[in-house]
Amino acid sequence: MKKHIILFAVACLGLSSCEKVINLDLGVTSPRLVIEGNIYNKPGPYTVTLSQTVDFDQSNTCPPVSGAIVIIADNHGLKDTLTEKDPGTYITSKIAGVPGYKYSLSVSVNKTTYTATSTMPAAVSIDSIFFEKFVFGNFDMVSIKFQDPVNIKNYYRIIEYYNNIRNTDFNTLTDDVYNGMGIRYSIMADEKNQFLFNPDDSITIWLESIDKGVYDYFRTAEINDIDSQSATPANPLSNIGNGALGYFNACSFTSKSIVYK
Amino acid sequence: MLKLVFLAPDNFSMAVYRFCFTVLFLFLVVQIEAQQVYTISGNVKDSKTGEDLIGATVFIKETGKGTSTNAYGFYSLSVPAGRYKLTAQYVGYAPQEQEVQISGPVKVNFTLSTRVSELGEVVVVSQRKNENIVQTQMGIQKFDAVEIKNISVLFGEKDVLKTIQLMPGIKSAGEGSSGFNVRGGATDQNLILLDESTVYNASHLMGFFSVFNSDAIKSVSVYKGNEPAIYGGRLSSVLDIRMNDGNSKKFGVSGGIGLISSRLTIEGPIVKDKGSFIISGRRTYADLFLRLSNNSDYKSADLYFYDLNAKGNYQINDKNRIFLSGYFGKDVLGIDAFGINWGNSTGTLRWNHILNNGLFSNTSLILSNYIYKIHIDEGVKLNILSRIQDYGIKQDFELCPGKDNSVKFGFNTIYHKIIPGTVTASEDIGFKNLSNKYTWENAVYFSHQFNAFHGLNIEYGIRFTTFSLLGPGSFYSYDSIGNTTDTTKYGSGKFVKSYFNFEPRVSVNYVIDDQNSIKASYARNVQNLHLLSNSTSGNPTDQWIPSSNNVKPEIADQVSLGYYKNFADNKYEFSLETYYKKLQNQIDYRDGAEISLNETAESQILFGRGRAYGLEFYLRKKTGRFNGWISYTLSRSERKFDGINSGHYFPARQDRTHDISVVGIYELNKKWTFSATWVYYTGNAVTFPTGKYQVDGKTMWLYTERNASRMPAYHRLDLSATWVVKKTDKTELSWAFSVYNAYGHDNAYSISFRDNESDPSKTEAVQTTLFKFVPAATFNFKF
Repeated sequence: MKKHIILFAVACLGLSSCEKVINLDLGVTSPRLVIEGNIYNKPGPYTVTLSQTVDFDQSNTCPPVSGAIVIIADNHGLKDTLTEKDPGTYITSKIAGVPGYKYSLSVSVNKTTYTATSTMPAAVSIDSIFFEKFVFGNFDMVSIKFQDPVNIKNYYRIIEYYNNIRNTDFNTLTDDVYNGMGIRYSIMADEKNQFLFNPDDSITIWLESIDKGVYDYFRTAEINDIDSQSATPANPLSNIGNGALGYFNACSFTSKSIVYK
Repeated sequence: MLKLVFLAPDNFSMAVYRFCFTVLFLFLVVQIEAQQVYTISGNVKDSKTGEDLIGATVFIKETGKGTSTNAYGFYSLSVPAGRYKLTAQYVGYAPQEQEVQISGPVKVNFTLSTRVSELGEVVVVSQRKNENIVQTQMGIQKFDAVEIKNISVLFGEKDVLKTIQLMPGIKSAGEGSSGFNVRGGATDQNLILLDESTVYNASHLMGFFSVFNSDAIKSVSVYKGNEPAIYGGRLSSVLDIRMNDGNSKKFGVSGGIGLISSRLTIEGPIVKDKGSFIISGRRTYADLFLRLSNNSDYKSADLYFYDLNAKGNYQINDKNRIFLSGYFGKDVLGIDAFGINWGNSTGTLRWNHILNNGLFSNTSLILSNYIYKIHIDEGVKLNILSRIQDYGIKQDFELCPGKDNSVKFGFNTIYHKIIPGTVTASEDIGFKNLSNKYTWENAVYFSHQFNAFHGLNIEYGIRFTTFSLLGPGSFYSYDSIGNTTDTTKYGSGKFVKSYFNFEPRVSVNYVIDDQNSIKASYARNVQNLHLLSNSTSGNPTDQWIPSSNNVKPEIADQVSLGYYKNFADNKYEFSLETYYKKLQNQIDYRDGAEISLNETAESQILFGRGRAYGLEFYLRKKTGRFNGWISYTLSRSERKFDGINSGHYFPARQDRTHDISVVGIYELNKKWTFSATWVYYTGNAVTFPTGKYQVDGKTMWLYTERNASRMPAYHRLDLSATWVVKKTDKTELSWAFSVYNAYGHDNAYSISFRDNESDPSKTEAVQTTLFKFVPAATFNFKF
C-alpha cells in the first residue's frame, strides 16, 4: 500500500518513475519440502500434494515428491494412509470431513517426519452474492454477505473462481472487529481487465471457515508477496512442523455463484 | 552536607537531585583557583540584523585561549586582572577587536559586519580558522545557513537534512526518505531538536522533503553519538537546530517561488535593537497541477504540505531576555474516499538570565506534538487518530569558574503522552481504542571542560536519567511465543515501571600544534522511546512506544578516536575518525509480526544486540573560488537476535560498506556560482528470496537468511547554478537552477519479484527507480 502511495506522489509531481526487469543472481539453495493438504466438510477423497522448492532461475513447475508416507487421522480413531495417485499427489480413501473433528497429518520423507493438526470449524453460509461498483473509480466488484456467529472466534478464507479459474490471491478475514455482525466482503475485478467484468463472466465464491493455524498461514502468506515494503520478509507461519513449507487445512466451506450481465 | 536518602521510587528522583547539586557545588569550590580571576562576558551579534551569532569565537590575542558563543550568542571568559586584546570572529564576517582593561567583571559586546567578499575569499566553514583542531568536541558537524544555501538538493530545495547526509558517518536512509542513519544506528535513534523541542517526524511527503525551511534556520549542529552531557535520549545522534531570531534593526521580506513549492519570510524589529520577530512559511502545490489533469480521480486529489516557523524575542534589560518560538507543519494526502494527514507542532518559551558573576541561565518551557489522522469515507465514515504529546521544562546553567574552565549543569523533565490509536466511526464497528501511554522522564547533568596541561583539553560530563511508565491502564506480560500471560491494572499516576541510568561522557583533545590534534572520546547513551516500523523507509504511521515492563531501554556505548590536520595555513581541513559502538536491547520483529493498531504490539517484538564500527575520512578545501569537500565512510553495522539467523550476527538493514560524497562549489564571478554533488554508496542489506515454490497455484518466495543480499550500488550527480541578478544593500534577486540525477543512473528505490508476464513458467526481479534528470528552477528574492 505504501509503495502505491509513493508512486502516486511521484506521478503527481510530474515525474514518471520507471520500472525495469533486472538480472539478479539469487544463487542456488537446497530444496525444501512443500506440503499442501485440504480436508473439506463434503465427501472425499481429499488430496495432499508434496513438492519441492526450486531456485529462482529455474522453471516454476516444482518437482513432485514421490514415495512419501502420508497419513491423515481424526480424533475419533480413524486413520487413513494415503495412496499416491500421480507423482506427488496423495489421496484419501476412508476418512471423512466432519465439522468439529480434529485432524492430524503425518508426512514421512527420507527419514524425516512432518506433522500438523487442524480442527474443522462449523460452516458459515453465504447469504447472498451480488455485483457492485467500487466507490472510487467506477470499478467492478463482486461481494458476498454473511453473518458471523457471535459466540465463537471465526477465521475465514475467501477464494474466488473467475470463469472456473481459481484466483491465486489469498484473502483472509477474522471476526476481531466484526464479531456477530453481518459482514460484506468484496473482491475487485482483475487489474488486467481494467478492473471490469465482462458480460457472461461467471464468478464463484467459496467462504472457507478455517482454524487459527491456517489463518495465520494465509495471513502471513499474503505478506510474503514481495510487493510490500516490509523490511523483514519471511516465510509464512506454517502450521506444519519441522520446517516444512505449506499448510494443512481442515475447513468447512459454502459457495455461491453469479453471472455478470 | 552530603545527604543520600533512598526512598520509594517516586521520591528517588528528588533525592538524586539533591545529591547531584551538592556534588556540583563541591566541584565548583575546588575549581576556583588561588589567583583571583574576573569574568569577561557579552554577546556577539550581526551588525546589520542584530541576529545572535552562535558558535562565534571570542579569543584573547595575548594567550590564544578563547571560547565560543552559546546558542544565544553569549560567551564568557575568566582572566586574571590585566590588559587584553579581545577578538571576535565568525564565518563570513570581518573579525572585530576590542581592547579591555580588566580589574573586575566586565561586559564586552561585539557586533560583526559581513565581510565584503572578494573573490577567492569565500570562507565556507569554521569559526576560528583552526576550530576543528582546537575544539575538544569531536564527532560534530556544524553548519550555518550560508553553507546550506550553496547546496541544492531535490527540486531545487535547500534541505538541512539532505545536506548533513553529505558528511562522513551520516547516511541517507534511501532515496525518497528523509530519515537518516548515523554510524550504523537506526532512523529513530536521532534526536532532532528545533529550538530545544523534539521533532518526531522530520519528513514531509513520505520523506521527499524535510520539515526544516532553511530560510528560518540559523544554525545546525550534528553530534554523531558522543554529544556533551547536556543532550540525551537517543542513541546515535543529536541534531540541534536553531531558528533565526529575526532582524531587530529593520523590516525585511524574502522568499522564493519554485516549480513545486514557494516560501515567504517576513521579519523585523518589535522594538528596534531590543526585540524582533520572524515568520517563515512554505507550501508545496503539486496538487494544483493535478487539477489540470484529465483523470477525474486526480482532479479532486489533495497532495500538499506546509510549514510555518514563527519566533519572537525581546531583551527586557541587560540581564534578561525572553524568546517564544513555534513551528507548525502538516502533510495532506487524499484521494477521494481516503485521506491521511500528519504533522508536528512545537513551541518553546525561553528566558535567558545572566547572574552577576557571568553565570548564564536558560529556562525553557517546551511543548511538542506529533499527530496523524487517517480518514476513510466509504459507506462507513472512519477516523483513526494517533498522537504523541510532550510537555517539558529545561533548566541550564553555564559558567566559567576559572581560567580555561567552563562548567555546564542543569536538569530537564518531560512528560510524554502517547495516544497510539483512537477510532471514531459513524457506525459501531466494534473497534476498541488502543490504550494511552503516559511516561515521565527526568535528567540531571553536569559537564566540565578544562585545560589539563599545555595542549591537553578535557571535557567530561555525567548525565543521570530516570524514565517511568505511569498508569492509568492495563499492562500485559507475555510468554516466549507472544501470548498474553498476565494483565495488571494500574490507576492514574501510579508507577508501573521505572528505569535509572547513568550516562558518562568524556572527550579528550590533545593539540599537538596549531595544525594538528588527536581526539578521543567515550559516551554512553540511553533511549526510552522506540519507533516500531516494519518498512524499509519509514511511514508516518509508525508507532512510538515507551520502555515498559516488557521493553527495556536501549543502551549504546561508543568510543571514537580521531586525527585532525589542517594544511596550507588552514586552507585545507582533514580528519580521520574511527568509532566502535556497542548496542544493547535493540528491537526487531517476529516473523509475521502484526504491529499496526495492535494493543499487544509488545508481544511481537524480539530483543537483541548490535555493534557498529567504521572509519570516516574527510578532506575539505575551505577557501578560494573553487572549494568543496570529499567525505568517505567505510563501515559495518550488525545485529544479533535469538530467533533470527540462528542467533548469529547479521548485517543491519542500514549497513552500508562504502559511502562517498564529493561536493564542489565554483564561484565564477559575482553573478554566477556553480556547484556539483556526486554521491555513491553500497546498497543496503536486504532479504531477497533464494528460491520459490507454488501454493494453491501461486508463486511463493523462499527466504533463508535475513539481510544476506544487497541492493545494487547507488550513485548520482546533481548540478546546480545560481545566478545573482541583482545584489545591493537593500535588494537581492537571484535564480537557482538545478538538475537532480544529471546522468540519469537507474537507482533502485525498491526491487520486487513476480511471475514473468509473457512466460508464466519463469519469475523475474523488477527494479523501481524514482528520480532521473529532474530539473528545477526557483526565483529567490530578499528586500
